[in-house]
Amino acid sequence: MVGILQEQHPDRARLFMQWKQMGWPLLVDSLNLLEVPYVPVTLAIDEYGVVRIVQPPRARAEELEERFLNRTYEKPTEAAAGKTLAPRLAALKAATGQNTAAAWRAYAHALILWGEAERLSEVISAYQRALRLEPEHDPTHFRLGVAYRKRYDSDYRQGDDFQQAIRHWSKALDLDPNNYIWRRRIQQYGPRLAKPYPFYDWVRTARREIQARGETPVPLRVEPGGAEFAHPARSFAPGEVLHEEPDPRGRIYRDKGRFVQVETTAVPTALIPGASARMHVVFRPNLAIKAHWNNEVDDLVFWVNPPAGWQVDARELTVANPPATVSQEARTVEFEVQAPAGGQPGPVTIPAYALYYVCEDVNGTCLYRRQDVALKLEVKRSAP
Amino acid sequence: MRSHLLLPLTALLLLAALPSGQSRAQAGRAGLPSTGFVEGQPFPALVLPSAEDGRPVSLADFRGQKLLLHVFASW
Repeated sequence: MVGILQEQHPDRARLFMQWKQMGWPLLVDSLNLLEVPYVPVTLAIDEYGVVRIVQPPRARAEELEERFLNRTYEKPTEAAAGKTLAPRLAALKAATGQNTAAAWRAYAHALILWGEAERLSEVISAYQRALRLEPEHDPTHFRLGVAYRKRYDSDYRQGDDFQQAIRHWSKALDLDPNNYIWRRRIQQYGPRLAKPYPFYDWVRTARREIQARGETPVPLRVEPGGAEFAHPARSFAPGEVLHEEPDPRGRIYRDKGRFVQVETTAVPTALIPGASARMHVVFRPNLAIKAHWNNEVDDLVFWVNPPAGWQVDARELTVANPPATVSQEARTVEFEVQAPAGGQPGPVTIPAYALYYVCEDVNGTCLYRRQDVALKLEVKRSAP
Repeated sequence: MRSHLLLPLTALLLLAALPSGQSRAQAGRAGLPSTGFVEGQPFPALVLPSAEDGRPVSLADFRGQKLLLHVFASW
């Protein structure tokens, strides 16, 4: 038994396997190089590497034994593909001199699989070169999205990496709306109205049960976020306004990104009138000036002022301070918006702002600051 | 239980075979798109990273034994 993972964060599947006490070898195919259009896919492969049964039905064990496990297959006259070593990057890079989409893709695949995280920018650039030559190649859009999200989760992140990932996954799905894996990838981070189920709701139970067995759960490099735990909803529930707006006249001094850098991602980036999107906003203290949160005072507050006709599921969100008196972690808020049913197509900005206490350096000056956040979305024409 | 979660081994051993002549076209007629794999054809010679430590692993490493291969996700 061997597993191949179609997952952006394969350590989550390792946690799942530990929870279920399954010890199969697991391989990672985040790029979907297998080009499966959905999961799960089960294959019975003989001793010569030939696929003998595709998707055996889940019944009649004796038939599987008889028709596969107990059967002797003849060695194929044409040798099954032999062992291929991990490709040599230098040779693949040299081949990009031909400037074909296939050469750029092959180089990008090898670089993301076998290169270091610091080379993710090269991977992205190589996929972009491939798309310049074949702009409608849907798997390349998907894989470029995987590369952007991978860089977003690395120390080499650039501001709009997550949004770029969503853009390219969406483009891949536009080009092939039947690909279930691409659809699920957007739903994973998207609004509750579009969710088929909570994606990683099993993580908490898994950890609890693994710990109860006396084991240490497989650590996750990237914790699932709110969208990945969120349950599906059948209707949009506008949030109640529980408090007065904290700074309605905009009197608090602004942080224009010197102390805290803000990343925003809309999932999806474009929606039809009446549809919803999930907004992800991340606040990162500027480590270059050793900025840090001051946790001895109020929590970070995020306030949304939706344009006329737009609904939000929360006007006010807070991020609780951790116990340490100072810290430098990224802080995230997520909320959902619904476009008005009769809205006009075009770009929309949803204004919001955050209020927080931030310090420039350890033992330095601490300030209460406001940062204005403009969340960008596109309303597209309803399908006729 | 989501259909795409991996199957426990015991459940997988309960799988029964499809007709051996199943083709892409037949899979399409059954209501699902093709998996892209065809019975009687070699599995592609891919080298992928191990989830555990990232080392390169080829399915050819398992040559000489029958294999049930499960392509899945934990979401």
